[in-house]
Amino acid sequence: MEVFGQLAGGFATALQPINVAMLFVAVVLGLVIGVLPGLGGTSGVAILLPITVFIAHGSLPGSDATTAIIFLAGIYWGALFGGVITSILFNIPGEPWAVVLLFDGFPLAKRLGKPGLALASSFLSSFLGALVSTILFTFFALPIALKALEFGPAELFAVFVLSFATLIGLGAEAPMKSLAMLALGLLLAAVGFDTITGEQRLNFGQTSLLSGISFVPVTIGLFGIGEILASAEEQGIGFVENISARLGLRDVFEALRELRKRLRLVLSNAIIGFFFGVLPGHGATAASFLGYGLARQYSKNKENFGKGEISGIMGPQAAADAAGVASLVPMITLGIPGSPTSAVIMAGLFIWGLQPGPVLFIQHPDFVWGLIASIYLGHLLTFILCLLAVPLLAMIMRVPYAIITPFIVVISIIGSYSLNNSMLDVFITVLFGIIGYWLRKMKYPLAPLVVALVLGDSTERELRKALIAGHGSPLYFFNSGLSTVLILLAVVLVAIPLIRTIRARRRGAAPPAVAAHP
Amino acid sequence: MLIAAVAMFDSRAAFSPSAGTALGDVGSRWYPFWAATIMGIAAAIVGYRALTTLQPIEGAFEGRRSVFAVLKIAVPMVAYAALIGGIGFRTTDFTYRIVPAFGFYLATALYMGLFAWWLGRYKIWWVAAIAVAFPIVIFLVFEIGFRVSLPKSFLYTSGLLPF
Repeated sequence: MEVFGQLAGGFATALQPINVAMLFVAVVLGLVIGVLPGLGGTSGVAILLPITVFIAHGSLPGSDATTAIIFLAGIYWGALFGGVITSILFNIPGEPWAVVLLFDGFPLAKRLGKPGLALASSFLSSFLGALVSTILFTFFALPIALKALEFGPAELFAVFVLSFATLIGLGAEAPMKSLAMLALGLLLAAVGFDTITGEQRLNFGQTSLLSGISFVPVTIGLFGIGEILASAEEQGIGFVENISARLGLRDVFEALRELRKRLRLVLSNAIIGFFFGVLPGHGATAASFLGYGLARQYSKNKENFGKGEISGIMGPQAAADAAGVASLVPMITLGIPGSPTSAVIMAGLFIWGLQPGPVLFIQHPDFVWGLIASIYLGHLLTFILCLLAVPLLAMIMRVPYAIITPFIVVISIIGSYSLNNSMLDVFITVLFGIIGYWLRKMKYPLAPLVVALVLGDSTERELRKALIAGHGSPLYFFNSGLSTVLILLAVVLVAIPLIRTIRARRRGAAPPAVAAHP
Repeated sequence: MLIAAVAMFDSRAAFSPSAGTALGDVGSRWYPFWAATIMGIAAAIVGYRALTTLQPIEGAFEGRRSVFAVLKIAVPMVAYAALIGGIGFRTTDFTYRIVPAFGFYLATALYMGLFAWWLGRYKIWWVAAIAVAFPIVIFLVFEIGFRVSLPKSFLYTSGLLPF
């Protein structure tokens, strides 16, 4: 099998000392970021993205673009695991995908007095979920990429439209808010030179805007600064519960016994989480709620849910981590980010001079397979670190607010400035930080804005290439069977919330909300 | 809606027949015009719904305390960003500075020190230690380690400080 040979090559790349060292640093950073309530995985990846430019260009001995992506992805794996620790021990979710663990993780730790079992169950199911997802990633990525190589502009544009439609149709927030954010992202991406005709647009005579609005300062602002402002409002409101954070071998063995009883649930949730995560715009958070729902639905002990049921920990964790890994699949194979975090990682690829999408498999196979191999290694490393270092990680919660908050702002400013040595980028970060906070407050989703900002240029390019090929006729999009199906699917997805709203109005009730996505 | 209106006005050339360079091309203004139109329509619908449905009486904030909690972070942050490059205005041939450029390191020392003193209520030597230690560690990691050149202060140009 070709895949095994490629994967072996990937392991040879990922196991190079510099890559292992950076993976270790990234996972530790990710765990710390995951534990800190004021900083999310997406923010952490966005803030540290500019540093990867120096890593990719060989600032460290032996480092290259593969080291950079292993570093960025490693932060995400660490954050996926780290976010749950504070949920279980302190009843404070470190990450949005760890919110669901408040239902059963904290009660198992506090009420039933088994924090070690709760943590070990969470880590084991996360690891297994991620492992299943990575195996699926390994075998699905190449066929998807090879198929995508045959795509013309019409098919590519249809794929972009479908990914936008999923953001609107399956999003948690009001579809019109998602649509407005999506259009704003497309509009911001259009600022500066038109890539086809070279004309200036939307720069209002400002030469500093000719190169466009850079994705990195906007994302650092929206996520890094925006989250800091949002968490400032919550400081002091919650009471930090204090539970012993020790995790012994006995807990791990007990969790293994519990896992054996729930192996079917964990494996099926991992597979469902994978396919859910592949859908653009839906990362680990939505999958965690879906996983919890499924665990409860098929449980014989429904009445135990909410009181410390282990299935209520293992089900969502397996789905969340599987979805987190899967969100990289469309990014690597099609050039479409599966979640805001993968959108940031994809922006990294552009900055390092790589083109995300199927050509990566042809032009840079060592990069792609090095990344895939590092996912296996990254999760194993995270799992071991979690088992060993829980007490240390729990102590991070005690770093004073008066130090950690300005420090995150300082790191965000360094990140936004260092990419282009531009003070304009610093002001863009601060401005979008305030905008991001306000959008959160007004319940506008940030995922469509970020995904559209990353995909805006490519969407316009493929749309116009298709129109030129079709001599201006939109019927060109329906010449290919695949693009027709994708566009029709997109129409159905956008129609879903509309039908839901009409039905709810007929019944005289508010439309039901879907689980939130990051 | 305002953003959409401004963008639509800037992209009004979308309707110019000679917009594109190739046969069938819609030109550079067409795409931003329609993106802005979609945004405007969506914003109008959101606005209409907000006006016609019942809203919570207390508004977006839970109280005066939560407004101040956000302002406590936002105002020093804006001041910090402004201090890095200095505050002033520019004419065609000269830049006037009301506050000189503090550069990244001096501004960070002030910013971290302010938080430690104001929100942390630490003793003055702790405040001084935090204000000095953080910029030095950042200088060693970024300027020396990663070779990232961050903005320097007015004292750097006069040769008094290495940053």
